[in-house]
Amino acid sequence: MKYQDLFPVPTEWVGDADLSMAETLAAWGEREVKDGRLEHREDYEGLLEPAMRRLFVELGLGSMLLPEESGGGGCTEPGAAMTCAVALESVGSADTGLAFLLANTLAVQAALAVEPVGDEALSGAMAEVFCTDVPAVASLVLPAYGAGSVGRARFNGLDHQVSAEKNNGAWTLKGKDVRPQCSGATADLFAVTFAGDDGAPALALVGSTDKGLKVGRPFKKTGLAASVNADLDFDGVAVTAASVIPLGPGGMRELLSRYYSGCAAACMGALLAAYEIIREWGDTRVIKGKGQVFKENPLVASLMGEIGAAMATDRLLTYDLARLLSRPDLYGPPGSPAMFATATAVFKQVSRSGMRALDNVMELMASAGYATEWNLERYWRDVKTIEAYVVPDTAAKVDMARHYFDLETI
Amino acid sequence: MRTVDDFTRPLEYLTPLDRYLGPIARNWAETQVFPFRREYDEDWEEHRLIEPAFKALMGELGFQRFFFPEDLGGFGMGHSDCTAVLAYRIVEEISRADSAFGVAFAVLHWPLLMICLEPHVNRRLCEEFAPMFCKTDEAVFAANAMTEPQGGSDIENLDLLKGSTIRTTATRDGDEWVISGHKLWPTNSGGAAKLFGVVCTTRPGSTDPDDFAFIYVPADLPGVTQGKPYQKAGMAADKNSDIWFEDVRVPVWYRAQGPGDDLKYFKEMVAWGNMATIGFVGGAMMNAFEILRDFSNEKTFRGKPLKENDDVAGVLADVATSIDVVRVLGYQMARMMDRTDLYGPGWSDEIVIKARAYKYFACDRAVEMLGKALDLMGPFGSDRALDIEKHWRDVKICQLWLGGKQLAQMEVARWWYDCETL
Repeated sequence: MKYQDLFPVPTEWVGDADLSMAETLAAWGEREVKDGRLEHREDYEGLLEPAMRRLFVELGLGSMLLPEESGGGGCTEPGAAMTCAVALESVGSADTGLAFLLANTLAVQAALAVEPVGDEALSGAMAEVFCTDVPAVASLVLPAYGAGSVGRARFNGLDHQVSAEKNNGAWTLKGKDVRPQCSGATADLFAVTFAGDDGAPALALVGSTDKGLKVGRPFKKTGLAASVNADLDFDGVAVTAASVIPLGPGGMRELLSRYYSGCAAACMGALLAAYEIIREWGDTRVIKGKGQVFKENPLVASLMGEIGAAMATDRLLTYDLARLLSRPDLYGPPGSPAMFATATAVFKQVSRSGMRALDNVMELMASAGYATEWNLERYWRDVKTIEAYVVPDTAAKVDMARHYFDLETI
Repeated sequence: MRTVDDFTRPLEYLTPLDRYLGPIARNWAETQVFPFRREYDEDWEEHRLIEPAFKALMGELGFQRFFFPEDLGGFGMGHSDCTAVLAYRIVEEISRADSAFGVAFAVLHWPLLMICLEPHVNRRLCEEFAPMFCKTDEAVFAANAMTEPQGGSDIENLDLLKGSTIRTTATRDGDEWVISGHKLWPTNSGGAAKLFGVVCTTRPGSTDPDDFAFIYVPADLPGVTQGKPYQKAGMAADKNSDIWFEDVRVPVWYRAQGPGDDLKYFKEMVAWGNMATIGFVGGAMMNAFEILRDFSNEKTFRGKPLKENDDVAGVLADVATSIDVVRVLGYQMARMMDRTDLYGPGWSDEIVIKARAYKYFACDRAVEMLGKALDLMGPFGSDRALDIEKHWRDVKICQLWLGGKQLAQMEVARWWYDCETL
């Protein structure tokens, strides 16, 4: 089956180069990841490292949004959003955790380099991190629920996880038990949102070896094994003004919108992988002792219909969002309140409906659905982890209502 | 501050033993399981951490003797009219800590129901197997070997298939049954069980109830081979594996009840399995309430405790409502199992179907509720240190066994709407 055949995407929006990349990544996934999915569980870091190196370094995805002159892939035009969606969906189909690391990395690079917000000097500097022969991961540190009575600056009701003081043009970051989106124990760079000048959202780039940054012990979580996450302490981490992007509300919304778009694509990849698994199951199982092929049972078929419908519509939505972000000339700036509401809606829709589809697939497979051997359960855990991690459900709902219904006080 | 004890139970259904055994089970859970449960996922194969807790509950506290007659060293609950309600309470307490423990514990009793419950006590088999469970401080597991490789949930699909797809055979040879077949997935397999209740047929392909046989097979007999445990999305304390029976010989009186009655009381056993599953997910949901209560007190949103935000409170209300309803439903089902004088025997189609329907309903609520709880907690929801994600994984597994959701839907529809061709 070709990339766009069964669950169509608007191919007129996807360039030839992106289609070619999708084919390359599909082959990479089959050859270097899917064949070893069960073994990865035993030694995830060790066994996945070669695949990650090939993906991030040799295929260039780990630096694809940085300028060519810095050694990156040069996808700095707005159309990069579509390239990201194609890439993340393909990677997500092989290993959703790896796609989540890439979604973080690309969201940070987009804030650095993708037009119109590109920061030439900073993206050039960051090339030293990403444009090497070692895979490098960036991890976002986003606003989250607060803890105790510590009053912190907020963005849309959620607390910035670090506080910041400015002296002589440089910032000092403080925060305890800060939870990054991914790879707290292994990321090379943390992109930390905080309240900058006049309380406006800003993004500080903090190297994993910067003084004052303390990495906690990795903790266990539901899924996304590729992300070895750990909480962070910012014990007076100094960040120069040159390493801070003054996002403002629009930039913050753009950062999140691009991140949501990438995460939706990663979830979509997981759904496509699940489709392959349930397709084989439906073709080969018989039920009711009469040799009735599983998929030919009307109840099974009705559930399969729901699964197919979710995949078809989720995929269209994923690509629609990427398109909206790719064409600011038609749809307005990626950081507009309207785009942010749409991006939030699409991510929540794709992840939620994707979870429902994965739940249905697991129900159809019964015990094989939750047995590791059949590979389905890992995608089920991964998508749920992404759904929970990226934005708390209650916050996302109000983010959407804020735009659609002109909320004024929350 | 509200606690799990504020969720409703029909008080007039409770047995006097509830006030004694309930707290014992709770204390066991809080001292033997809660402190260690975050490490269980990595212990799925060896059970080095898990076994001591089982030993304390089943062997040392003696809960594995629950159904055997008193004169054989048991608790004598097989001839009580409040057995199911008490069993439900115990399973709920265990599952509040870890529903996989609840499952493994309940399933150790499951095959024994065929011979220990009034009015069909098989005294000779009780005497035969009571010492295995009642004269030891070690945990002893039993298991029901039902599912087969070719059939999935066909075994449980009794109304439609009437045992015709069973390929594990029981062949009479003098005073012995010779058992041959291959089973998958029994809880407490993978080397755990000492005794199997094996669903087999005396005439392959037959739909005659007389040919459905339930025969006990000690796990140490020649010809019994248990595979290695399967790795799963959750439920580490519940070991599952392949089991092969190759010309295994057992005395002829190891058949639980005999032609016709094996199938009849097997249906009752299925009803018990569904009732207990409500307790597995109900216990997990109650612990989820505790986790959410603490989390929503400690974390802030918009500068206020999470729970003080109207939108969050809406979700919390849904969670509490689901738990309350599922708990009432679970106790109601248990009561119906106990009071056969009012509701009919536990093997009647009505009881079997209602147990399946309530289990289906409770599991759906549990899966939905745990999903909401995890979403509400954001990145902390998937953190193993907060335990909600463990319950989320485990209740999904509970939803899918005993034939899963689709078989439940078919059986419920058949009974309520007189469907004839499903």
